[in-house]
Amino acid sequence: MDMAITAARTEASPARGATSAVPAPTQLALRLAGLPISSWAFAVRLWIAVIISLLISFWLQLEAPFSAALTVLLLAEPTRGQALAKAGWRLIATIIGVSASIAITGFLSQSGDLILAAFAAWMGLCVYAAGLLDGYRAYAAVLSGYTVGLIAVQQIDSPQRVFESGFSRGAAIAVGALSITLVNNLLFAPDRYPRLMVQLAAIHRRIREYAKAVMQDEVTDLTATALLKREIVALRPDIASLATEASSGPLRGAAARSAIVAFVAELHAIRALAALPVAADPAFRERLTSVFDRRHDEPPSISPVGHVIDSAKNSADATAAPLVCALSELLRTDEEVRKNLIALKSGMRPPRAWRAPLYQSNRIAVESGIRASAQFAIASALFVLTGWPATSVPLSIVALVIGLGATTPSPRGFTTIALIASPIAIALAGVFEFLILDGVSDFPLLAIGLAPFVVGAGLLISGPNPALASLGRLSLIFFMVIFSPSNPQTYDPQAFVFSSLFVCLGIGLLLAAQFLVPPVSPDRRRRWLIASARHELGLVLSRSNRRYAPEEAMFRDAVRVAQIAAAAGTDLQHRIAVEEALSHFDQAAAIRLSDAKLTQLADSPLASLAAEARTALVDRDAQRIRASARSLRDAAPGDCLAIATSAALLLAGAVIEAASAQAANAPTEKGS
Amino acid sequence: MTHTFRELVVGGVLLAPFVTYAIAALAIVLMIRPVLRFTRFAKMFSHASVAELSVYVTILALLILFT
Repeated sequence: MDMAITAARTEASPARGATSAVPAPTQLALRLAGLPISSWAFAVRLWIAVIISLLISFWLQLEAPFSAALTVLLLAEPTRGQALAKAGWRLIATIIGVSASIAITGFLSQSGDLILAAFAAWMGLCVYAAGLLDGYRAYAAVLSGYTVGLIAVQQIDSPQRVFESGFSRGAAIAVGALSITLVNNLLFAPDRYPRLMVQLAAIHRRIREYAKAVMQDEVTDLTATALLKREIVALRPDIASLATEASSGPLRGAAARSAIVAFVAELHAIRALAALPVAADPAFRERLTSVFDRRHDEPPSISPVGHVIDSAKNSADATAAPLVCALSELLRTDEEVRKNLIALKSGMRPPRAWRAPLYQSNRIAVESGIRASAQFAIASALFVLTGWPATSVPLSIVALVIGLGATTPSPRGFTTIALIASPIAIALAGVFEFLILDGVSDFPLLAIGLAPFVVGAGLLISGPNPALASLGRLSLIFFMVIFSPSNPQTYDPQAFVFSSLFVCLGIGLLLAAQFLVPPVSPDRRRRWLIASARHELGLVLSRSNRRYAPEEAMFRDAVRVAQIAAAAGTDLQHRIAVEEALSHFDQAAAIRLSDAKLTQLADSPLASLAAEARTALVDRDAQRIRASARSLRDAAPGDCLAIATSAALLLAGAVIEAASAQAANAPTEKGS
Repeated sequence: MTHTFRELVVGGVLLAPFVTYAIAALAIVLMIRPVLRFTRFAKMFSHASVAELSVYVTILALLILFT
């Protein structure tokens, strides 16, 4: 299909237009739209799923058919596995939200104000939980929050209907989730893993380029390393959705997860290599870089790993031992990445399945939760003061926007987009309800009428611009909320005016509340993250820090580096913060790797020397680490493990020394 | 002879028998997933997703017929 488009575009170019084999209208449509077929397919799938969900809801006479259509819109993910994973989490979150609604209404049914206060607290708790999670888990956390808004707050004057309302919402959500799953399955929605495979291969290529640059002693950009880590870490939530894609999904997920953990370990090995003085012999360097010239899935020929390391061992250079250690680590991790990518491609179990632990700052999550709670409390207090009878609708919208905004990097930016989207949605819903449909009650007419709106927004959602995608999604969601399809459709202008007004008012008030109680600023976020990195480096070999293997702990640290890199700031501050974060990352990783080697010596006669070396590692004293390394090597000259441990210690010493030199040269950012 | 369906009662709320069957079929599909993986089921079809959906529908239909 893509080839056809390319052909059509080529044919339609002015030079060859006259000899085109493709009919002119097709060319025009393809040229005018300028959008890939996959986007059109996504938009059409979305429209079909919306229609099916509405049809089933009308047929089953559900109380809230628009909930089913909204579910389809919220589950509109480009790939099948992602939509299915999100649907699963949405169902779980709805069950939690409905249970919380019943509990809150049951305890506080005598007082509406107390229900609102309890809801603000619950909302804060859910935003806090979302701050500790990522991907669809975070979405599920905020959904549990605003489900209470959609059920308990909407039924604030008739608490006896909470259970019934919760049940009908659950049924509508199940119908919506089933509709989109069915449509995605039957209309061949793409799988995530082929694209993931391409992304991982591209990252692997870039890591190898970086390795070659370091070996050639070229100047490398530190922020580029942080950016690479950010891209690697960003794949984590997508990898989690591989499990739902097919029966081989869990194995593919494990392979992809192990691959990203190995990427981070490989990046660390390259940075450790960069901390060492470069090998002088150009021929040797040439041979090293040639190891990385093969394709990412090509097996190493005649063991260049051993060959290169043997050459290094024979080198007369005094820095040979740590160099050998860094090189063997680099080649080992590169080989591990290659094996994991092969396992991903073939749907086999990876050679070693790593976990990919997530770092989330508890402090930032608490602060975000408290602020979200305060924002909701301010907005609801203002609505209570107005004394209007139907304020439950805007309050639910406020809860929804707070919730969805909490899963984005900038909640206030999200509210602003929502404020822009609401008048667009109101205009579209007005035109659709009172000009296009204008009183019709036939389902086929509703289906045809919805097509341009849903397909148009679907094209925006699948487009490359994230701001436009958010705008498209929110406009479509508000369009569905305001139009609120039912059987039979009421066509009540008064209800339309009220719901439109309340949507705009609710979002406007929330934006005002967010200016009054702003979300955690990127600067503060970055300071806290740096302070946390510094604190954890101090506790690097403590008992609480030993839950993970060194590679897994490295990945967790890389998540933090990615978060620091994501928190924008002034250029200089940003750079200082990223450099400091990377330096902490390198030191912690080198210490953990050395410690893993020292642990193997625990039962040998060298145990006392190993304990001494560990103390030096904890103190991050480069001189003592080097001395321990020499004593270890001298104590057991023929012992391979002792020699390897000694080399790892020397490497850790070099990394710590390089970090100290960097810290002495650069001004540090103060942690609060 | 008419086939009788037993309704599921959760806390006094009656659930349609179809819901029970749909959930039971999902549980069975999840249980046989490792077997599908072992037999390389996904590799036998050009569109594995449609094949897996068909397995689900078949199990659901068998449950409705024989229970």
